[in-house]
Amino acid sequence: MAIHEKSLIDPDRIMTHESLVVDGVDVSGHWNTMVAPRFLSDYDDDFVNVIRGYPGGENVHRCWQCGSCTNSCTMYAQNTDFNPRYWIYLTNLGLKSEILKDKDIIWTCVSCNKCTNICPKDVRPEGVMKALAHWLEDEGHTDKTRSSIFDEEFTGQVLDHGRIEDAHVVINFLRKTKQPYFQDWLIEAVKRLMRHMPVGMLTMLGWNFLFTPKTRSWGRTGEVLREYVREQKEAAHARMKEAAHV
Amino acid sequence: MQNTVLVVGGGPAGLSACAGVIGAGRNVVLVEKEDRLGGAPILSGYAKLVPSGEWAKDAMGRMIKRVEDSGLAKIHKGTRVVSLDGGVGDFTATLSNGERVSAGSVVLATGFTHFDSINKPEWGFGTFEDVLTTTQMEQMVAGGKIACPSDGRVPERVCILLCVGSRDRQIGREWCSKICCTVSTNLAMEIKEISPQTDVFIYYMDIRTFGLYEDKFYWKSQEEFKTKFVKARIAEVTRAPDGKRLLVKGEDTLVKRPIVIPFDIVVHAIGMDPNAENTEIARVFGIGLEKHGFIDRAEHYTNTCGSTRRGIYVAGAALGPETIDDSISQGQAAASRALADLHALVQKTA
Repeated sequence: MAIHEKSLIDPDRIMTHESLVVDGVDVSGHWNTMVAPRFLSDYDDDFVNVIRGYPGGENVHRCWQCGSCTNSCTMYAQNTDFNPRYWIYLTNLGLKSEILKDKDIIWTCVSCNKCTNICPKDVRPEGVMKALAHWLEDEGHTDKTRSSIFDEEFTGQVLDHGRIEDAHVVINFLRKTKQPYFQDWLIEAVKRLMRHMPVGMLTMLGWNFLFTPKTRSWGRTGEVLREYVREQKEAAHARMKEAAHV
Repeated sequence: MQNTVLVVGGGPAGLSACAGVIGAGRNVVLVEKEDRLGGAPILSGYAKLVPSGEWAKDAMGRMIKRVEDSGLAKIHKGTRVVSLDGGVGDFTATLSNGERVSAGSVVLATGFTHFDSINKPEWGFGTFEDVLTTTQMEQMVAGGKIACPSDGRVPERVCILLCVGSRDRQIGREWCSKICCTVSTNLAMEIKEISPQTDVFIYYMDIRTFGLYEDKFYWKSQEEFKTKFVKARIAEVTRAPDGKRLLVKGEDTLVKRPIVIPFDIVVHAIGMDPNAENTEIARVFGIGLEKHGFIDRAEHYTNTCGSTRRGIYVAGAALGPETIDDSISQGQAAASRALADLHALVQKTA
């Protein structure tokens, strides 16, 4: 049966199946459309601790829903769907599916910190926005941000070669973020380099670009550093999570 | 010359009034209808008191001992006042044990009655074993073990429903019981202390931890003990399909969605009703009741603790929902009024 007033139902609650067999009866076709229940059936009690484990999210459990953050928010003035107070509430109760509905706008926080200045309970909502954005990224709910992609490219080169090659950083960043290589500012920069750089240095630049040499006696340093950073990150995360539980 | 004050009720307010009279070297006759002194904290088995954190039996025990050891108090337990004749300066009370008491003035500290959760059947009390009241949960805390009454399992989750028997026109209770928010946030901490693996949720309309209770109880419970606060007025409590847990149904005001959440124990933060015997008390003492059924107070500014009858003073939860600490202060205030009556009589006869 067709569902009337479909517009009143959240699209994600409407379930249709191309082909479906229920108790041996083939119910393929448009009339197997069902509507998932609207009620919330549980909390994720541990989620708040996950968010408290991210830098910035430590105080999220202090919130008492006064709404000062949303009221003072720069982004809320642009888009009333940007509601830090609400996301903080969802975080504390572990209503992840509700948070995911706003995954594409949470990261747009501009870090003006007006919320953090005004918060009477020292929740530090700006930090919570960051923590949520990072969690969304880590869980693969959102694409990596451009700044994360840049950071990874930069750090990757350092660890591989003990140094960075500017041209590679720029080119790889543009490629990974699906931006055209021929950017006006980049063309201008290259032109000026060609015009003003001494020939010796230009040659060296070209050489380095082609052969990407490593820093002298770099050896296994990159590997060791990589391992160390990984260990430290894990330890920090575990510490934060542990602290959040206390 | 009258040298005696009659105090009715042996709870925090009454014991405090007794101590006030005794401290001035006058005699007191204390009439308590139950067989024990201490009032609600003792009779209902409260655990640690708010805000001192002291065990009820210790705190009340000291108050009782102070009165008993004074040598100036005549205590009648398991006794009621059946009639009161005369007027200020010359009252004569007849007790249910047949004794007659002459007193210059009277202090009523007749307290309150806990709301009976049976009157909100949709919240499951009396239907499900694991639905308890705050007083029952206090008793569990005093016993030192948090477990579901139905099968003894340690609860993963406990929720406390605020405003049970308060702020509810449907059941004729339009008052805020004042102390349940603080008691509940404190109870959440006590539960967590005994059973760290239990998560405690509080369902609220507002949180009214007034004055200094704000950070000492509400903030502390939320920030240090991780009590979770959910803005929802619960519609009903039912049995979960597993036959063990309870389902708490309602609407989350902030998410604007219906909720059906499983819990192991549901606690009713019950409010304070007028003493169930207030109509009888009003008849015996010839005093008025206010519109909710608590004892009516006189104009407060110059007739502090006064009732609607001269020479009869009132203290504590008999006047309306009251904290233990403030009941104790009011007991002293009422004693001072009662003593002033005796003193005025002395001056007159001198």
